[in-house]
Amino acid sequence: MADEDNSSDRVDNETPKPEKMFTLKKWNAVAMWSWDVECDTCAICRVQVMDACLRCQAESKAGSGRQDCVVVWGECNHSFHYCCMSLWVKQNNRCPLCQQEWSIQRMGK
Amino acid sequence: MLKQDKGQQHTFEDKWPSMRAIVLKLLQQEPVTQNEWQDLFYNVHSVCLWDEKGAVKVRDALTDDIMEFIKKAQVRVMSHQEDQALLKAYIAEWRKFFTQCNYLPTPFRQLETSLVGYKTPGFKTATEASIVRKLMLDSWNESIFSDIKQRLQDSAMKLVHAERAGEAFDSQLVIGVRESYVNLCSNPKDKLQIYRDNFEKAYMEATEAFYKMKAPQYLHANGVQNYMRYADSKLREEELRAHKYLESCSGSVQLLTECCVNVLVTAFKNTILAECAGMIKANETDKLQLMFKLMDRVPDGISPMLDDLVEHILQAGLDDMMASADVITQDSEKYVERLLQLFNQFSLLVKEAFSDDPRFLTARDKAYKQVVNDTQVFRLELPSKQNSGVKCQPESKCPELLANYCDMLLRKTPLSKKLTSDEIESKLRDVLLVLKYVQNKDVFMRYHKAHLTRRLILDTSADSEKEENMVEWLREVGMPADYVNKLARMFQDVKVSEDLNQQFKEQCRSTRGSIADSINIKILNAGAWARGSERVTVSLPMELEDYIPEVEDFYKKKHSGRKLQWYHHMSNGTITFANSVGRYDVDVTTFQMAVLFAWNQRSQDRISYENLRLATELPDPELRRTLWSLVAFPKIRRQVLLYGPEVQSPKDFDENTQFWVNQEFALVKNGKLQKRGKINLVGRLQLSTERSKEEDNESIVQLRILRVQEAIIKILKMRKKMSNAQLQTELVDILKNMFLPSKKMIKEQIEWLIEHKYMRRDEDDINTFIYMA
Ligand SMILES: [Zn+2]
Ligand SMILES: [Zn+2]
Ligand SMILES: [Zn+2]
Repeated sequence: MADEDNSSDRVDNETPKPEKMFTLKKWNAVAMWSWDVECDTCAICRVQVMDACLRCQAESKAGSGRQDCVVVWGECNHSFHYCCMSLWVKQNNRCPLCQQEWSIQRMGK
Repeated sequence: MLKQDKGQQHTFEDKWPSMRAIVLKLLQQEPVTQNEWQDLFYNVHSVCLWDEKGAVKVRDALTDDIMEFIKKAQVRVMSHQEDQALLKAYIAEWRKFFTQCNYLPTPFRQLETSLVGYKTPGFKTATEASIVRKLMLDSWNESIFSDIKQRLQDSAMKLVHAERAGEAFDSQLVIGVRESYVNLCSNPKDKLQIYRDNFEKAYMEATEAFYKMKAPQYLHANGVQNYMRYADSKLREEELRAHKYLESCSGSVQLLTECCVNVLVTAFKNTILAECAGMIKANETDKLQLMFKLMDRVPDGISPMLDDLVEHILQAGLDDMMASADVITQDSEKYVERLLQLFNQFSLLVKEAFSDDPRFLTARDKAYKQVVNDTQVFRLELPSKQNSGVKCQPESKCPELLANYCDMLLRKTPLSKKLTSDEIESKLRDVLLVLKYVQNKDVFMRYHKAHLTRRLILDTSADSEKEENMVEWLREVGMPADYVNKLARMFQDVKVSEDLNQQFKEQCRSTRGSIADSINIKILNAGAWARGSERVTVSLPMELEDYIPEVEDFYKKKHSGRKLQWYHHMSNGTITFANSVGRYDVDVTTFQMAVLFAWNQRSQDRISYENLRLATELPDPELRRTLWSLVAFPKIRRQVLLYGPEVQSPKDFDENTQFWVNQEFALVKNGKLQKRGKINLVGRLQLSTERSKEEDNESIVQLRILRVQEAIIKILKMRKKMSNAQLQTELVDILKNMFLPSKKMIKEQIEWLIEHKYMRRDEDDINTFIYMA
């Protein structure tokens, strides 16, 4: 099972203090990000907010350009695809979920 | 001269004697001088012009002479008793006479105009329309021909019969008889009527009678396989003969061929077909080719052969798989090779025996699909009920093994290392070929995605270009688009994450110096990579824990509105293990790291399972699995950890089981201890926890249920109202690229949709559904 025989002795030089049995050499950390939303689904297009909205999906095959389809939060704390919401407010300036007047609290980036 | 003759010597009575002499010479095919020939023209002309009744009189006299001539010919013909002599004599007389039918009418053209008047212009050139010619042929027909046609025909058929029996004769005799049948017809609407009603009919009957007698004899004496050759050669022979003896462009040849097929093949259809299964089994492609050729001419001849082929592929395919079940269920490479070999074997059979005829290709596909999806060889259990996981529906393990094989080709493995790029590509294409036949493509995609996730996270792809090509190939073979799109997103995402990692390292380098080199981050889009959110708690070693807020701060500055979730079960690293023997670089998962670092403060201690659990905070199943990988990693002589008392499997550890570091740990190469070295203990990176593995299977079922519901609504929305049977057909059609829904699942989903008022049953017919908006 031993692959190769070329461990460096760099660690020796760097650690003058009493050596631990196990020392960290490299760590590949993995994390997943998701939009910090209360509801996973965009109530306007019914697609998960982690996916691009229907419009963006149709425009780009295989999800290219997906990075641009961000999420927007209203003062009411409800969240939607920014694309979906900006079309929605042209017709009706209220949150589709709570009917409060829509005003942007923050945008996802 | 002309002036003198005017009005005197142009009556019929004056002229006929000299005309007649020439007419008789012509009939008897005696030589006629140029002058005589021209005189005849002139005389016909003048009689018709100057004698009021001249035309009629000429015609009558001509008829008499023709009849006279025919009578003599008849006597000459009938004087022969023997068939061939009679035919020979008749044909000689007929040919002579028929030649004259083309000459004699010419001088009498004036007669035509006089008799008919000028009513029908435009007929001048057509000798067929000539009255004299018609008169000649009719006379021949009425006297000689109608008298002896039966004898002629019988004699001709006897000759054909003799030819079939292998005797040689002058084929012109039969052809001559046929010609007289064709040429004698005076029915302008159907010029072949006499030929068809007599000659053709007799020919068909004689042929049929001949083979009705011969074919069974031959079959009886020589057996089916020789008989097929016989029938085939006779069909060809009779077609050639028909071209010779039957009138072309009359459809006769085709009629005769049909007659031969009936009497030679159709009559023995079942006897011949009974041999088919055996021949397929024995791979007798030449004989099958012959049978195919014969049966293709018979109504419904091919479909029993198709059934035999399907039966054979199923039988041979499944027998073969069962025979090597113990190997192929364990070894995905062997399994895929076996499947491909079967496919090639069946394809070769279809090519050599049936010339890749589309009907046989379809039958091959149908049967091969069943072999691929068969569940007898191995079973993968999927819970089939949405709420209770009790009932299980067995599925073929084929999609999983195909995905494993792909992974071996795409990952850095001994297999992929020994193959060239082209070889790998061609093997991947092979997988795609088999994949086309896999019913549950969604299962393949699930495993494929899991393998891809491991390759991307552990950076173990053998060739990143090939990885991305594979995504497009999957799209090309019609894998469900939403699954393929997810894969494409993963590639994109991993590139975005790599950029982010570089930025992080730069920032880190400025604040923490060279230690930045020891950390890499992958921050991925949860939507593309992970299904449900699951969190495995682990208490990270201090060395790692410090990084967490640093990464999170860095990420917050880059992005907003996002939350991060650490996937420590996916993260991994390299540690240096120093003991009395040497120093080793060990690739480990973060869980393994957490367990091992527990010894850093007490390197010689024995630590109980219970205390390791407290130290790492790992959930029970994960801790057991991690410990097992450190005390019993496959294929290494000396393990990193030792334990006691000994157990058979990780589930047998109890809370008092003791673990300690193997101070004698060393890498062994060619029987020698190594003081330095590198070893990978990651194994197959666990992408999910034990609990979520079951959820994984559940989630496939959930997804299938959702797809079935969507498809039913989609179909009903379009059709508004439809029968159950029709709905099932269209449903399977829509979903077949992903999976084959079971009848039970369809039924359950229909009930659910009715209950939730998406649709209803027709009041008059419970098997008809109506869409409800
Ligand atoms: Zn949306
Ligand atoms: Zn969008
Ligand atoms: Zn709201």
